Amino acid sequence: MTEAADVLVTGDRIELRFPARGDLIVLARLVTSAISARAGFDIEELEDLRLAVGELCLLTLQGSDARHGDLCLELTVLDDAIGVVCTLERAAAGDAPGPEAADIAQLSERILDALVDEHGRESQDGSVRAWLRKRRGGHAE
Amino acid sequence: MDQEFEIAERTDATPPVIAVSGEIDVATAPQLRECLQRVIARGESTIVLDLLGVTFLDSTALGVLVGALKRCREAGGDLHLVVADPRIMKIFEITGLTSVFTIADSLQAAGAS
Repeated sequence: MTEAADVLVTGDRIELRFPARGDLIVLARLVTSAISARAGFDIEELEDLRLAVGELCLLTLQGSDARHGDLCLELTVLDDAIGVVCTLERAAAGDAPGPEAADIAQLSERILDALVDEHGRESQDGSVRAWLRKRRGGHAE
Repeated sequence: MDQEFEIAERTDATPPVIAVSGEIDVATAPQLRECLQRVIARGESTIVLDLLGVTFLDSTALGVLVGALKRCREAGGDLHLVVADPRIMKIFEITGLTSVFTIADSLQAAGAS
């Protein structure tokens, strides 16, 4: 951490790990708000990040049987941005997403496209990883 | 913490008004879906959904609203949304849903009596 208790600087990294349950995604949003504020993002950016990280968690959970898995959220303060990586660990592949889930995933993608500068999702060796990066003072819209 | 999630249904209103407050997300959206399905199953094809007290909504919530809109329109009616908070309105704008839903900024403008 840093000298000033309420400020985060480049290189600071915070991890949050919780059972991969939808009702706990609120924790990811709360932590994101707190970290973004301490990393110098303004109120509008902070609200954008709160929504974007919720969508990142939803995209990570999509198509996986997350009942026994964990979601790991890693927030890293960069020079002019914040990077967030969301990883689903210890979860088996679930059923193929239905049409409604596909529609919701498309909405998540649109929200991320509008609110952050870069984002992506990948699956490897049974784990799913989604990530985003948002610049400070550079609204993505 | 934000305001607690609540749904209140005004059965005396025409069309019926469902007022939601708090955060609509993956955890609470199923309750809203169930409420909307129950009202539509009762034969109501036009519903006013009062989102004035909503502090947050995500893609899961939007999915519930789109599903309810389809069912209302199939029944010959509509789903009117009431949104005043610019943060909530922004979510409809960035997802392109402002052209899909009828959105008013007050219950009166949405035609609720």
